[in-house]
Amino acid sequence: MENVWQLEEGEVRKPGIVHVVMLALFTGIGIVVGTFGSLAIPIGFVSAFWPGQAVQSIGSIWFGWWGGIAAGLFPLISNSLSGSAPLPVSIAYLPANLLQGMVAGWAFRRFKTDPSLPTGKEWWVFILWGALIPNAIGAAWGTTMLVAFGLITQAAQFVSFLGWFIGNTIPTIVLGGLVLKFVSPLVVRSKAFCKGYWA
Amino acid sequence: MNSEAARVSTTGRTAKARKTLLGYVPMESPFYAFHPATRLILFIFLGVIPLFIFIPEVNIFLLLINLALLRWGKVDVQRLKIYMPIIFTVAIFMFTVVILAPGRDPSYTPLEVLGITVFYQPVFFTFAAYWRLIAMLFGTILYFSTNRERELLVGLRALRLPFVASYVVGLSIRAAGMFMEDFRIIREAEQARGLDTKAMRFSDQVKLYMMYLIPLFSIALRRANEISNALFARGYTLTGRTSTGQPRQDYIRSTYSYSKRDFVAIVVMVVVFVATGLAQIFFDIFAIEHSPLNILLRQALEIPS
Repeated sequence: MENVWQLEEGEVRKPGIVHVVMLALFTGIGIVVGTFGSLAIPIGFVSAFWPGQAVQSIGSIWFGWWGGIAAGLFPLISNSLSGSAPLPVSIAYLPANLLQGMVAGWAFRRFKTDPSLPTGKEWWVFILWGALIPNAIGAAWGTTMLVAFGLITQAAQFVSFLGWFIGNTIPTIVLGGLVLKFVSPLVVRSKAFCKGYWA
Repeated sequence: MNSEAARVSTTGRTAKARKTLLGYVPMESPFYAFHPATRLILFIFLGVIPLFIFIPEVNIFLLLINLALLRWGKVDVQRLKIYMPIIFTVAIFMFTVVILAPGRDPSYTPLEVLGITVFYQPVFFTFAAYWRLIAMLFGTILYFSTNRERELLVGLRALRLPFVASYVVGLSIRAAGMFMEDFRIIREAEQARGLDTKAMRFSDQVKLYMMYLIPLFSIALRRANEISNALFARGYTLTGRTSTGQPRQDYIRSTYSYSKRDFVAIVVMVVVFVATGLAQIFFDIFAIEHSPLNILLRQALEIPS
């Protein structure tokens, strides 16, 4: 099976303007997906359907840190546009959003996993490292920030955590899995695809 | 003041409104008398200052200021209806959670309301937190309702954000608009081929929504190549400098200039922001205990402070 992460003989990859443009365009997709998700089925600060996390995981798998930066950046704007979180709270979410993106990117490179998810093994790597773990981190950090900002009480944290975790994980698995399966073969042949973290 | 007060399009029609990130605002909106950097500082001011304020009455007052500014800025308030579900569901969520999981502090005062035991302290805390949140949200809504991507870009560059960062922010917001347009085209193409989404089950609609992303990503890939080639052809680099190493001329920023009212507004906002922050950090002036409503309720319910 082809290893998409393997550098070809003599291949040199450097970050270029195409990565910056891809970062911006990917952030744009994230803004649209995140805003729609937040407005779709809102249950307070969290959404019962937030496919934005799928975009975060996919971004870092395909574009390394560029996708990770997009994962941190787009919720700042999509949360503002959808009204689901004010700017200071969105800024506080930033570390978790970066992690929500980068965990999947790290795992796929670490375990040399094909982003087209051809077999069950790749699917499990994606479900675990692209959906369950990042969302657990995101939900734990996010609800901790809500407590720190005085927006929910400590006692309400666990309920909020569950809503956040479930609302993000299900669309991530379904949407992220589909997009990776069908679009990855196209992406890995593009200039913007990053075999490493930056190029 | 912006030099492009009124524009005549190539079709000879005079532009009367501007498309902002959240709608349309008339060209003569008083907001446009201010430099984009002043508007960006207003966004930071109104979006962050409720963080220092725990008194709900003050946050309600800030919310009213936001609404007054929206009216003053001639924003079509009807368009803000899209936020109504979120405003209500946030309240329902916050109060449901605090009723179901109030915490176990023995100092809490139980109250019987409609046969349910609720605790005064966490409920009032939630009430105050809700108004803080809404005040912050409307600060954000005000900014995005009255500014375009171009003005955000000028504001960021005026605040000396590096070229590459401001370019990414500007292009990403423009890209969001482009993807909305692509999304509309894809939907219309499906409808033209006879797809009736109203007749579909909810689960099928969700699946369809997800399938939209596949063409959108494909378009993004192609567009990334086109834009990066175009930038390369124009000599753009990641540093924002020209090939000779000189800083590139910032044309968009040069079309805006500061006026006296900008300096006055910025000074007032900075002074009020710093004073509020210091008053809360060092003297707890905006603590929840100082809320007149809290004091009144505690007296009425005979709850010790």
